[in-house]
Amino acid sequence: MNPSFKLLLVLIIALEVSFTRHLTINLVLVAVAIIYLLTKRIRPRLFGWLFLMPLFPAVAVFITIAWFSPGHDYFYAWVLFSRIYVYVFTGAAITQTTSPLELTRSLEQNLHLPSKFAYGTLAAVNLIPRIKMAVKTIRAAGQMRGINLSWLSPTLYFKAILHAITWSDQLAQAMESHGYVEDRARTSVHQITLTARDWSILIISIILIQIITFALP
Amino acid sequence: MNHLAIDNLTFAYTPKHPTLKDVALRIPVDSWTLFYGASGSGKSTLMRLLAGLLPKYGGRILQGSIELPNGLTVAMMFQDPGMQFALDTPQHELEFALENLQLPASEMPARIEHALKFCGIEHLRDRQLATMSGGEQQRAALAVLVAMDTDILLLDEPFASIDNHNRTLLIQQLTLLQQKYHKTIIVADHDLHGYRGLAKQIIHFENQRAQLLDAAASDALLQSADQLAATVHHVKLPTASDQPILTLKKVVIEHGNQKLIMANDFSFFKNQATLLTGATGTGKSSLFKAITHLAAYQGTIVYNDQDSQKIKPRRYAQQVGYVFQHAVDQFLSVTVKEELALSLKKGRNPYFDEDHLAAALKLLDLNKLQDRVVYSLSGGQQKKLQLLLMLMMGQPVLLLDEPFSGLDLHSLHNVVDLIKASQKVYPQTMIIISHQLEGLEKLIDRHVKLADCQLSYREEF
Repeated sequence: MNPSFKLLLVLIIALEVSFTRHLTINLVLVAVAIIYLLTKRIRPRLFGWLFLMPLFPAVAVFITIAWFSPGHDYFYAWVLFSRIYVYVFTGAAITQTTSPLELTRSLEQNLHLPSKFAYGTLAAVNLIPRIKMAVKTIRAAGQMRGINLSWLSPTLYFKAILHAITWSDQLAQAMESHGYVEDRARTSVHQITLTARDWSILIISIILIQIITFALP
Repeated sequence: MNHLAIDNLTFAYTPKHPTLKDVALRIPVDSWTLFYGASGSGKSTLMRLLAGLLPKYGGRILQGSIELPNGLTVAMMFQDPGMQFALDTPQHELEFALENLQLPASEMPARIEHALKFCGIEHLRDRQLATMSGGEQQRAALAVLVAMDTDILLLDEPFASIDNHNRTLLIQQLTLLQQKYHKTIIVADHDLHGYRGLAKQIIHFENQRAQLLDAAASDALLQSADQLAATVHHVKLPTASDQPILTLKKVVIEHGNQKLIMANDFSFFKNQATLLTGATGTGKSSLFKAITHLAAYQGTIVYNDQDSQKIKPRRYAQQVGYVFQHAVDQFLSVTVKEELALSLKKGRNPYFDEDHLAAALKLLDLNKLQDRVVYSLSGGQQKKLQLLLMLMMGQPVLLLDEPFSGLDLHSLHNVVDLIKASQKVYPQTMIIISHQLEGLEKLIDRHVKLADCQLSYREEF
């Protein structure tokens, strides 16, 4: 499926699920997301993580509603419990099957997002490993000068923000020197297609979700 | 018009201190030009002005003008190899650049293929840029410029942190670009060896001015640089009386899936200055990161007969100091004065009393910069300040990663003199990674070469 449409669908699902109290739709969505991920041959280990990671917050929410809310509403507790899994599995359905670059290209080509925004974000994503290393380095620099920089230390944040500012400036200069000009047309080496099939999947999915949500108990 | 015209140009980042003053130059196209001068002399600034990045990204042109020949395109390669890519792999970055130029998709594969081949990095096309060494990144950066097929190539200290092998390789390819494809190539470099017969003209930057050197002066400069680079220095091998201070026991250091260093039982010795050399990407910096626990490794790194991992991080940081490759990583405060105050307060190197510190600042030309924000200093000034700050801290072991990059020869000699003076009063163990070998003979006691994943002591460098 087209990456932008996949994102759009998942956003619509997230929004709708947030405003409804409907257990069936949650379960159906989780099941569909799992089947989709299975067809994409996701590593079993990752599946384990996807189940385990949300378990703690999900159980916490469940206990709060089921035991400590005035109505002891078990149904609502299950709704909230499953809602967290809807977010996690539909989210994984995007992140595990689409690379940030594919998504960026699709957003630029199909949804006509300004390329400045698309590639700026992508460049920032590519900076994440560098950011992690930078924070480690800043703390080491502190220790070697006899100061312990805790996670709340203003110096740590000052340095991190400084890094971010320099980097964004340097990145902008680098992009420009690689021929990038704001708001100028670009060609694309990989055409991300938007087919009738993508449209129909999106529309049919949305209709199905409405039917299950409003027509079924 | 067959030249880049610069007319009485005055440019300043801060209104009162112009970086360039009344510069008037004619740089011919289809030719190779060198920008030469001390760190902070404005080479980089003029280059960014030519690339059109300045004054857009800072500073102001106070007077004068820059004019490029009509229709010629410009691209630039930066000093920091890691900070010039928006995407994750060479292949993607090349595609991004060609898309920007609105090249039809059908023409891209051939161009990309040619560029990768030209720079000898076909095997790296899908590797993550973030995991590549500085030398590999610079080759990828050149590949982008080759693919873009720009007329004017500006390279700002492109070899500052890469070894001779990659430097020679890049210079060869640039020569080919110039002679066969008639590109205009402008390189800023503080080290002039290997340019003889290539560079048609040298522009010398000094005291905010820039002027074209005549043929005789240029040639003399290039010749003496070549002579210096060809000099071989002799050092001793470790002797039985040397005391180990850092020992690598069954240590394996990896980068991605690639084994970089395997050391079964290898020691660095106390109170010696050991030079560590090896081709780009062999893992010299990774070794430093492993020793300081900034990167993972297998095996044991023993410090003073104790497993370094068993020493509390805070205490270990007082034993082993790391002078980072990027000077700004070292800074914790805002102004030069504050940085000095911090090192003075926490430092343990007895050499740096008030008088010696004042003398050191003068020697390094930092004495008038006390109120400056450290981030506004030039690259060379930052390097000198960084080294001074870490010398003052006085860890028994100091790891220095390219401490001399971006320093001109004059500054380099002063820095070496300062280290020697401090060593006399307060001996420290130093392990130094440096591609810059000229001027270090006074300082170096031992030489370790890293090749084929192995560390070994050598008698010459």
